[in-house]
Amino acid sequence: MGNTSSSGRGHHEETVDFGSLNPQGVYTGPRDWNQSIVTQLIVDRKLAPFYRPLDDYEESWDDEQILAARKELPEPDAGDSSITRAESHTSSLSSRSHHKRPSAVAKEPGRSPEAAVYRGAVECPICFLYYPSNINYSRCCNQAICTECFVQIKRADPTTTHLVSEPACCPYCVQPNFGVVYTPPPWRAGIGSEGATPPSWPDSPRGQTPQTLDAPPSSLMKRRRKSFSAESPDVVTTDQIRPDWEAKLAAVRAAVTRRANRRIIMRQVGDRLIPVGVTSGRVHALPTGDEGQGEGGEGNGGADRGSRRSRRRQQNQDLNQLLGQMGIGGQDLEELMVMEAMRLSLLEHEEQQRKEREAEAKRLAEEAQAQGEGTGTSESTAPTASESVLPAASESPTTTTGPSPTSTVLSSASSEGPSISRTPDASGGSQGSPLPPPSANLPERASTDQLSPASPSQRGRQRRSSSISSLSEALRSVAAAAVAVGSPAVDEVLQPEVVSPSVSTTLQSATSTGTASALASPRLDEEELPAVSNPEPQAAETVPATLSPPAPGEENSTPASPEPSRTPKSTESSDEEAPSYNVLLSSATSIASSTSNKPLLEAPASGPDTGVTTNGDPSA
Amino acid sequence: MAVSSRRLQKELTEIKTAGTPCGITLLKADDFQTWFLSLEVLGESQYKGEVFALMFRFDPQYPISAPAVQFVVDDKYKAPLHPHVYSNGHICASILGGEWSPVLSVIAVCITLQSMLASCKEKKRPPDNDRYVAHAPDNPKKTRFVYHESDSAAAP
Repeated sequence: MGNTSSSGRGHHEETVDFGSLNPQGVYTGPRDWNQSIVTQLIVDRKLAPFYRPLDDYEESWDDEQILAARKELPEPDAGDSSITRAESHTSSLSSRSHHKRPSAVAKEPGRSPEAAVYRGAVECPICFLYYPSNINYSRCCNQAICTECFVQIKRADPTTTHLVSEPACCPYCVQPNFGVVYTPPPWRAGIGSEGATPPSWPDSPRGQTPQTLDAPPSSLMKRRRKSFSAESPDVVTTDQIRPDWEAKLAAVRAAVTRRANRRIIMRQVGDRLIPVGVTSGRVHALPTGDEGQGEGGEGNGGADRGSRRSRRRQQNQDLNQLLGQMGIGGQDLEELMVMEAMRLSLLEHEEQQRKEREAEAKRLAEEAQAQGEGTGTSESTAPTASESVLPAASESPTTTTGPSPTSTVLSSASSEGPSISRTPDASGGSQGSPLPPPSANLPERASTDQLSPASPSQRGRQRRSSSISSLSEALRSVAAAAVAVGSPAVDEVLQPEVVSPSVSTTLQSATSTGTASALASPRLDEEELPAVSNPEPQAAETVPATLSPPAPGEENSTPASPEPSRTPKSTESSDEEAPSYNVLLSSATSIASSTSNKPLLEAPASGPDTGVTTNGDPSA
Repeated sequence: MAVSSRRLQKELTEIKTAGTPCGITLLKADDFQTWFLSLEVLGESQYKGEVFALMFRFDPQYPISAPAVQFVVDDKYKAPLHPHVYSNGHICASILGGEWSPVLSVIAVCITLQSMLASCKEKKRPPDNDRYVAHAPDNPKKTRFVYHESDSAAAP
């Protein structure tokens, strides 16, 4: 450590090998690189320090001329601090280790190591200034480049019209992924010189110094003639000192995506749709936190919208937390909210219809009952449904075929349920505010929704007509089954019933949960969910036949065990299902159900398919 | 002195000491903001006998940022009739945009443009000349942005 003091402690804090850690004002633009990374690289001797450049250089110059030629840090803004720092260096240095290093006083000619480093100075081909020969070289073509210029070179910032970010190219040979290699001098001074054994030059700067300092770099230069790959640990790339380039690109992309996905939010009031705001669109690139902000930032204007916005945003954040815990990024949030809004709006409508149908179903069921209790098939199926709903239906010995579809539906339904029931919370209240979904997910429907916001009835019809019809049919039959309790249902009721258990269960549990009640109805879930994860709504309808058979087996993972035992133990089966919904429902209010929810949210892709399938199949 | 001034000072010194390449003449370089050079294609070419003038405008970040270069269009000079040169003098050349390198210089740009003219097969304006010229910004360096942005603004 004796060396330490003798090699000039004054430099330790802020210089490396007589160069600065900070730019010397050659460029006046914004310092948009990561200065702390640059500093570290300089300290690590992986990047040349910011030497004060010489305006000119002649080999014949003596130290005095060299020091005089040093850039005077002319730009007051950029230069000031550097100047004062440099000055304070010198003074502190001279006062602290005066006896050791008189030559450290910068202006002393003929014996200054500060001047000595400039021996054999190299002109940077970009700024045309001269730097000590330990300068950076391009990794690809071995051209000199000073650190001042190097930190200026970067990727072109992406713009909303230019959504790519190509790595900066070498200014000399235009190779992509510009990077430099720096070979430090064999001696060390300033930061990081503690452990190193500084060649005797600090103590004997006179006369010898120039040669000692001069020789190594030039020989190094000759040695270095190969090129380095951009990944080489010796290389410092432009991306390394601007690690935020990806974030920048992502931000711009997100902004563009958001803009592109922006949708008008309509609120359904009675029979009309009223535009209440604009969604931010779904954005994958944004981290959870930004999502809320971005959305909030965009949704300005309109008193109604404002209040609603802020409310939702708050919930949004809560939900984000919830989703985050479940491993779901905020990007799904918006989608969920949209889904939920749509679902809710449908719900209202469906509720009404349901009542009507229930009445009708009741009638039908009664008829069916009257017709005779009996055919084996109908027995087997009907019970299944009724069992789960009504424990009383214990009478029916279900066949394997009967239950399996049921379980399929159930599982799919349950898997969907959570995601949706959670959403209501986010969208705040069960007020039907149909948010058109991102077009990416629901191309056709979304567009129609958007395009015809003024005709809600039409919209409702559309939905109803598709999967709803089958659903409603299912519902009807379910209701019938439920009412009939144990009574052999009609054949057509068969599959619908499969769905029914889940429905009724949900409804029951839902009602008990109060606010969440509306959210729980599975039929809606099934209807809406496909939209979320299923890019092609039609797929669900086409696949049915094929999907439904295998589905039971695959999907049974959850309800698998209950399935066989369900028939005999009606209570258990309903228990089996009910919990899942309860979880869902509770998840809406609390964060408890993180475990069960996670798979559920991801399930929709397959879940809804089967659900819809089963429904449609029978009815068709 | 900003880096641009320093660089240009050295480029100017170089021009004055070493001279300019054939067909290129320094017309005016009174400051480090705007320079004028004349350009002419020697030998056989579509532009035989024609002399053009180039205006260079530098910002303080030169040479990190490209200079704004265009042909002078006034009483004395006209923009060359070229598929990459608009009638207002703006030039569609990659090295003046995305492919600019700080290693290039005023003279390097002149030489590039000279060879661009020399290799021209057919004297004609860019296909979108009228549309572009009608909306072109004063500074051709802004062309890309302004142009695209107005495009995108119109799209939505």
